Amino acid sequence: MRQFTSTVLFFVFLFGQESMVDRPNPCEDPLLNLAEKKGIKAIPIKDIPRFRKLMKACEDKGGYKVIEKIVHKDWQRDYKKAKIMASFTPTFSVIVFLVMIYYFIGLGLATN
Amino acid sequence: MKSQILPFFLSLFLFSGSFSLAQPKISVGLGLGLYEPTLSGFDENSDVLFPTGNMLNRNFLFNWAVYYEFFSNARLGYNSYSSFEVGKLDLINSKAVYRRTIIYRMFPLETYFRWKPRIELNFTLTPIWGRGRIFVDTTPGDKSEDWNQLINSFGDSNPVSDLGATDAMTNDWIGFSGMIGIRYYLSTRIGLDMKMGFMDNSYKNEKWRLQKKEVTGPKMKIDELPLFSFKVFYGFK
Repeated sequence: MRQFTSTVLFFVFLFGQESMVDRPNPCEDPLLNLAEKKGIKAIPIKDIPRFRKLMKACEDKGGYKVIEKIVHKDWQRDYKKAKIMASFTPTFSVIVFLVMIYYFIGLGLATN
Repeated sequence: MKSQILPFFLSLFLFSGSFSLAQPKISVGLGLGLYEPTLSGFDENSDVLFPTGNMLNRNFLFNWAVYYEFFSNARLGYNSYSSFEVGKLDLINSKAVYRRTIIYRMFPLETYFRWKPRIELNFTLTPIWGRGRIFVDTTPGDKSEDWNQLINSFGDSNPVSDLGATDAMTNDWIGFSGMIGIRYYLSTRIGLDMKMGFMDNSYKNEKWRLQKKEVTGPKMKIDELPLFSFKVFYGFK
């Protein structure tokens, strides 16, 4: 089992060492493309540190607008997805709101 | 076998991390709750002096939560609010160490919408599974004799003279809660969440259990309580 774990760890670290040196332009990295197309939250957890480094490297190379575009698109994606309630959610929200009003009016009357 | 469990989970984590294309829509939160129960069974007890109540052990609730977004505007999750108290009781025979926990376990259904790109309004209804536990160190009479008999059989002679044991009395109850909240996103992953609402618990002080025997516990007024919470959320989605 130890050998198995060591082998797994070895390969994980081996692939984790993928260097940015042989990629001349960090702004064209597939990870940044993934963030732009599917959103920052589509990046696997293990790649988050590398993604942060890439963002910084891209900004340092003058790609400030590329990063700004990725972040802006991510905000807009989240906003568009969640700005309008669908299906059962508005009904549920109204019920919660009414329950709250009913409770606090009851509390107010009971206190008086 | 036990030693293989940790490497197994480690391997599982590493493999799943390597092959997943996107994150599950999961967010976790840590924070504090604020409420004002009336724990008269502790504070107005003239027979046993309990540790003095303060904001930390009466009004603050330590809170953690995990949510899964199963629909574009709705989340299901688990939310735990815990109140703790630790101290010593001045009993007739001893000064016993005493611990009290009250945990409100919630299974919320939360709907939400983004009012502005950074601001979200959310609405929560949840059932509550509440659990109160009181732990007290006691010194049963025959305890040291029994232990000494056992240890003597290994070759030592009466090494212990005063031993204690910890028992706990427990109570479970159900309830429900409703909350309205506002969440401000600092980044696309991190948000500050504030909620206000109420919780109603059907607690009965006659329903405590100690070693499978039903006993009467402290009087606590924990029904119809206003509740406020503040959490920091990190979204993995």
